[in-house]
Amino acid sequence: MDPNEEFQTLTVRHLDSLHAYALLLARDGPRAKDLLQETLLRAFRAFGSYKRDLSFKVWMFTIMKNVSLDWVRGLRVRPVAEEWNGEGGVGGNGEETAASVVPLDPEQILIRNLTVEHVRRAIKNLPAIFREVVELREIEGLSYQSIAAIIGRPIGTVMSRLYRGRNILRAVLQESSSDTVISRRAL
Amino acid sequence: MTCDVARAKFFLYLDGELAGEEQAALETHLYTCPDCQRLMHLERTFRTRYLDRLGPDPAPEAVRREVVRLLEALPARDVRAWLRSHRRPSMIRLGTVVVGIVLVVGGGVIGVAFRRLGNGASVSLTQLAEASVEQHQKLTRGLLPYDVREMSPTRMEQWFKGRLDFNVNLPELPRKNLALLGGRISYLRDSQVAALHYQLDGKDVSLFVMPLETYRQLGLGGRPKFKIVTYQGYDVIVWASHGVAYSLVSEIGGQSCLVCHSPDERLDFPTGFRAHGRL
Repeated sequence: MDPNEEFQTLTVRHLDSLHAYALLLARDGPRAKDLLQETLLRAFRAFGSYKRDLSFKVWMFTIMKNVSLDWVRGLRVRPVAEEWNGEGGVGGNGEETAASVVPLDPEQILIRNLTVEHVRRAIKNLPAIFREVVELREIEGLSYQSIAAIIGRPIGTVMSRLYRGRNILRAVLQESSSDTVISRRAL
Repeated sequence: MTCDVARAKFFLYLDGELAGEEQAALETHLYTCPDCQRLMHLERTFRTRYLDRLGPDPAPEAVRREVVRLLEALPARDVRAWLRSHRRPSMIRLGTVVVGIVLVVGGGVIGVAFRRLGNGASVSLTQLAEASVEQHQKLTRGLLPYDVREMSPTRMEQWFKGRLDFNVNLPELPRKNLALLGGRISYLRDSQVAALHYQLDGKDVSLFVMPLETYRQLGLGGRPKFKIVTYQGYDVIVWASHGVAYSLVSEIGGQSCLVCHSPDERLDFPTGFRAHGRL
């Protein structure tokens, strides 16, 4: 297949995912559109060096993350990690070893008989630092290694953020009465 | 394996991230522990009922249409026209407002030497300076990889020839403490430019060479020949010569002129600019 055609086909195939990740990184629709455009321009120029054994989606997400980091450096958007100010966990920055975390029992959530939309909304309301890895895993179905490559962090950090994000999500879905109670239970 | 250790691995197991002995140990524990079996069943149910049904929200139809048009424009190298008609101007407008406010209150963040420029040209110059500084930061921090490196100016000119639809004439390196580190094709305000990264006495200097058409479209021209903006602490000098236009970015004021000129040349800079004070 002609490379231009291949690039177009792959981009259109993954457009929903690309737009969703752009929204996550850029925070609003207009900026997300800019981020998506700039990512496509950069990716198109680099498509000759794209290795076909790597997922196109992961490759594009990595480029998009880099573009967004460029923007952060240029102060066009706030960095994702700065949004989390929770005091819990080793080092106080939301990082800890994954092995020390036991998942919250999902039984109460199942009893509540929530809809998928409830879960989707709860994921969108997670602190950005956790939302990113939870979305990349639960919605995009990416492996830990791919997520680590995209966000430029070690796999251990991915695991840690994923455990925490999932537990916060469960706490929110179990009892959405008080953020304070939720954060204590989840963290 | 204790129940706590086993449960701490549930996510890994269900995510398919456990293998080998760890996976076997967990499966052995599950086989012998009804409590963990029950929890694992709940985990699977939770996934099946909710998580497996999640997918990305569909991109809005307007975004989809624009992306398709952009994709069609990319191979035809008609991206500039496409971006000119589609790019959201709000950040530029915001930047302009900020520049305006700072100028009104006389703040020190952005100082502008616009003396003989009209309002429209002043705004354009600020936008060009903003874009130049952004590219300079990326180029000098290694965020924009070079297309070519370690070449003489003459060979680099040859490299750009045929790749850009305007001539790139680079100055020879008149001083030993001046090095041309690399170059690339880049974009300034949707216009394709040659971006050159120099170091002068170890200080980064970027030179962007653009088509004269871009310069004219910005309403720039006439006097002063060298238009000077200080933006975010960077000194930006913009001028046109011999059918192309240039934007020179550095943190060393008029010293950056040494990229093109010998120290004894006299240039037409406004009073107060540290143009040649340290030459």
